Amino acid sequence: MSLEFFDCNAAYGVWSVPPFKPAVCAQDLLDEMAWCGIARALVRHAALDNEAPQVGNRVVLDETAPHPSLYPSWAILPSQTGELGTVDAFLASMRDAAVRALWAFPSKHRYTLDAVSCGDLLEALAERRIPLFLQRSETSRGLTGWELAGALLKEFPSLIVVVVGHGSWGEDRLFRPLVEAYEGFHTDTSRYELDGGIPDFCAKYGARRLLFGSAFPNTSPGGPVLTLAHADISDEDKQLIAAGNLDRLLSEAQP
Amino acid sequence: MRNPSPLVAEFLAAGKAADCPVIDCHGHYGPFQGIYFPKVSPEAMVDSLDRAGVRCIVCSSHAALVDPARGNAEMAEVVRRFPGRFRAYLGLNPNYPDNLRDELARFDDLGGFVGLKFLSDYHRYPITGDAYTPAYEFAQERGLPILMHTWGGSAYDSPQQVAEIAARYPTIPILMGHSGFGDWEAAMQTALDHERVYLELCAAYSVHGVVETFCERVGSERVLFGTDLPWFDPHYGIGCVLQSRLTDDDRHNILHRNAEALFGGRLP
Repeated sequence: MSLEFFDCNAAYGVWSVPPFKPAVCAQDLLDEMAWCGIARALVRHAALDNEAPQVGNRVVLDETAPHPSLYPSWAILPSQTGELGTVDAFLASMRDAAVRALWAFPSKHRYTLDAVSCGDLLEALAERRIPLFLQRSETSRGLTGWELAGALLKEFPSLIVVVVGHGSWGEDRLFRPLVEAYEGFHTDTSRYELDGGIPDFCAKYGARRLLFGSAFPNTSPGGPVLTLAHADISDEDKQLIAAGNLDRLLSEAQP
Repeated sequence: MRNPSPLVAEFLAAGKAADCPVIDCHGHYGPFQGIYFPKVSPEAMVDSLDRAGVRCIVCSSHAALVDPARGNAEMAEVVRRFPGRFRAYLGLNPNYPDNLRDELARFDDLGGFVGLKFLSDYHRYPITGDAYTPAYEFAQERGLPILMHTWGGSAYDSPQQVAEIAARYPTIPILMGHSGFGDWEAAMQTALDHERVYLELCAAYSVHGVVETFCERVGSERVLFGTDLPWFDPHYGIGCVLQSRLTDDDRHNILHRNAEALFGGRLP
C-alpha cells in the first residue's frame, strides 16, 4: 500500500544553536520531503520559537505561500501584553491567513501556560477546535512535557493538544494515562520508536490519536516513515496516522 | 520519492530486502526498569526481526547488566532456543569484581556468546577503571569484540575514554554503542585514530545527517547497525540509514557486511 504522508512536526529556519544538519529555507524542507516521499507538512519557522511569534508567524506565511504542500502554523502568547493583538483579532488573523494550528512555547517565551495567563485564548481554542501543539521538552509552572499537557487538559478538558517529539526511551507509562483521560490528547510518531509501540497503542486506543511526525530537521524522517509503513496495523489505520488524523484536525479547526 | 536507491524501494515495498540480510549488533533481552516493552519475549523479538529482514541479533540480557550471574544464564537459554537468530554478549558489572571474573570463566560454557558488553554509565564506573582489566585481557587474548554503551560528555564512557582504552588495547574490536551520542566529532576522531574502533548507530541514526557524516568522514566500513531491541523498532533505524545520502554499497556495509566481517564465523 502506498501511503500519503502529512508531517505534523516539521520546521526550517536558522536557530541560534543549529541542528546537526540544518534546513535553513523552505526548499531544504521540500527537498527532504521529496527524498523521503512525504507529500505535505505542517510547518513552523525557527523564528517562531527562537526569535518571537510576531516574527515567526509572519515569516512562515511569506515563505510557505509559494508552496501549497506546506501548511503554516503559528505560535501563541498570552493576551495581556497585546503583542499578537486581542484574542479576537488573533483568531481573525488566523482565519485570514488560513492558519489552522498553533504552538505554545511557554518556557522559551517566558509565560505561564495556564488558565490565569492564557484562559481567554485557550477557551477560544477549545471552542473552535484549534489544535495546540506542544513540544514535550517545553516546561511551565514547574511541569514538563506530559505533566504540563495533563495540567492543561485538566483545566481545559475539551482542548485539542498534540504533544510532539517525545523521548525515545519509553514514555508510554507517562502518556497513555492522558490518552485515556482526555479525548483531545494526541501525540506524534516522530520519536515513537518503541518496538511494537504503534500496533500496541492502536490495539488499545485505536489509531485516531497518533499523528505522523518527523521532527525534521533534528530527526531523520526516514525512520518514522518506514516504521509506520510496516507497522502491524491495518492499511486504514496507517493512512489515518500518516495523514488522515491531521487532515481531520485541521479541517475541524474554526478560527 | 526522489531517493533513487533500488534497495530503499525494496525496503519500502516489502519491509525487508532479500539481498540485505540485516545484522543487529546491539540488542538486549528481557524487561527493564524504565520502559514498557510490548514485544519483550524472544518469540516476539523474532517476529520483529522477521518483519524487518534482520537475519541475526547479538544481545545482552538486561538482567545481566545488573546481575550477570542470572542474566547471562537467561541470555544463554534464549540463544539455545533460537540458535539461528540470536547470539550474545556477556554482560558484566564492574562493581562486583569477583563476579566479573566468575562470568568470564564460564564464557565458553554458556554457549553462543561472541563478545562482551559494558554499560558503564549505568554502573557509574569508568571504562578506564581497573575492575575492567580482566575483561580487557580476556577480550584481547581471544580477539573478542566489546560493545560499550558510550555517550558524549559522560564521566564513564565518553569517546575520549574509548580512545584511551583503544590505545591501551589496540587489537580489541571496540563497538562504540550509540557512537558517543552527541559528541559526534570526538566519536569520529576516536574511530579515525584507532582502526579497531567502530561507530555503532543505535539511537545515533535518528539524528538527521549523522549517518552520512560518519560515512563521509570515517567511512561506511567502520559503521555498524544496532537497535537496542526490544527498545526500538528495527524499521526505525533501518529507515534512517536508508534515507541518508549514501550509496547502496554504504547501506549494505552498515546493515550487514561490516558485522559479517567483524564477527565472522561466530554468527549463525
